[in-house]
Amino acid sequence: MDAAIETRKLSKVFGNRRAVDNVSITVPRGAFLSIFGPNGAGKTTLLRVLSTLSRATSGSAKLMGIDLKEEPDRVRDHIGLISHNSMLYPDLTAEENLMIYARLYGVEDPQARVRDLLEAVELKHRRLDVVRTFSRGMTQRLSIARALVHDPDVVFLDEPYSGLDPHAVDIFDELIGQQRADRTFVMVSHDLQKGFDMCTHALVLAKGRVVSFDEKDNLDFDEFHDLYRATVGMGVA
Amino acid sequence: MAVALKKPSTWAQYKTLLRKDLEQEFRTKEMLTSMGIYALLVLVVYGAALAQTTSTLDVLQMSGGLLWALIVFTSLLGLNRSFAHEKEQGCLEGILLVPLDRSVIFLAKATSNLLFLLAVEVVAVPLFYFFFLTTVTPGESFWLLAVPLFVGTVGVAGIGTLLSTITVNTRGKDVMLAVLFIPLVFPLLWACVSATTAVVVGAEGYMDVMLTSLALGVGYDVVMLLASWVLYDFVISA
Repeated sequence: MDAAIETRKLSKVFGNRRAVDNVSITVPRGAFLSIFGPNGAGKTTLLRVLSTLSRATSGSAKLMGIDLKEEPDRVRDHIGLISHNSMLYPDLTAEENLMIYARLYGVEDPQARVRDLLEAVELKHRRLDVVRTFSRGMTQRLSIARALVHDPDVVFLDEPYSGLDPHAVDIFDELIGQQRADRTFVMVSHDLQKGFDMCTHALVLAKGRVVSFDEKDNLDFDEFHDLYRATVGMGVA
Repeated sequence: MAVALKKPSTWAQYKTLLRKDLEQEFRTKEMLTSMGIYALLVLVVYGAALAQTTSTLDVLQMSGGLLWALIVFTSLLGLNRSFAHEKEQGCLEGILLVPLDRSVIFLAKATSNLLFLLAVEVVAVPLFYFFFLTTVTPGESFWLLAVPLFVGTVGVAGIGTLLSTITVNTRGKDVMLAVLFIPLVFPLLWACVSATTAVVVGAEGYMDVMLTSLALGVGYDVVMLLASWVLYDFVISA
């Protein structure tokens, strides 16, 4: 199967600190990769490099077969990012926010796409309300719509559950579940159980290095849990 | 069902980003209100300061400098706020995820800053005239004031947008922007004060002074806008 993400000795250095250190992984298309690790392990930095928000210091990475360094704009056509920051303008309406992104990506029928997405995330009734008036859960649902506006092949999730109440978490999970077909997901999470339940592949990082990377089918949760605890014990980079 | 995408033109992306800034500002009126009130307060302070001077003080000769001090300080306030919305909720990262030329972000932001500064000047300059120039007789060339104002504001908006992008992630960004902005904009400031004073006073040979000063101002604008445009990808990705 073709790889959605392929990294070779990918590194990111800040000053004399190696935030990501020689990471080599291959994630097949349609997979759900969960990235675990203690604070400062390099999870978010790796996600930022893969999502073109940060440039790798050395090594190489390909997304959907496109070289990240050579053709970042082509890569951007294929990726979406949902983080704890909504990336939505609080003083614009839900519809205005999505229209901005739809137009910037060049969606051919932006109005229809925005209408469909608002319906999918159950926010059609609030489409003319400014985002500032939304609850955290509603904002995160709209954030999903924003990230999917151009129908990306790879979706990055950076601590997407941060600040969500249990009900909002359930709705979020359901929405992500509906979007999984034919899409590759990469999620950074501190919630080991949830991350493990959702994934097809699991990556554990510590001090920027790969501690473990494997298919979930090859892993036993209890052993994985012990490995994770031991990794957390390794502390931050 | 797959979503059909057609790579939008640079012009279409520019219009989308500019429209976003304008819609946001017209909804909140945050920048316009704060800059407008600040400009009014500076005029009040000028009034208090000049009220204590002797009657021989030539306000006309000072008017160019006073007006540009007002514009520079007011623009600093606005420029500091121009990226506040972008940082809130990580919106700038959302835009950076889009496959678009980074210089388009610069051009759209610089244009919106230019429009907001011009809008404030449309209110502040008549007030300046009302407060300080009604008791004296400005030259007949006073109507040409719009030219140095426009040339200067283009440069202030352009270089200010670049610098506010650089300083938005720094500690003490308000002070940092001023520290970088004032020295860098000094040649433009000098040219515009000279041109403004020449047209307000309207003395013999004012046109030569104005044209010479404006040549410097336009040259500064062209060089700085081109440099900002070229450097923006590096600055915003840093």
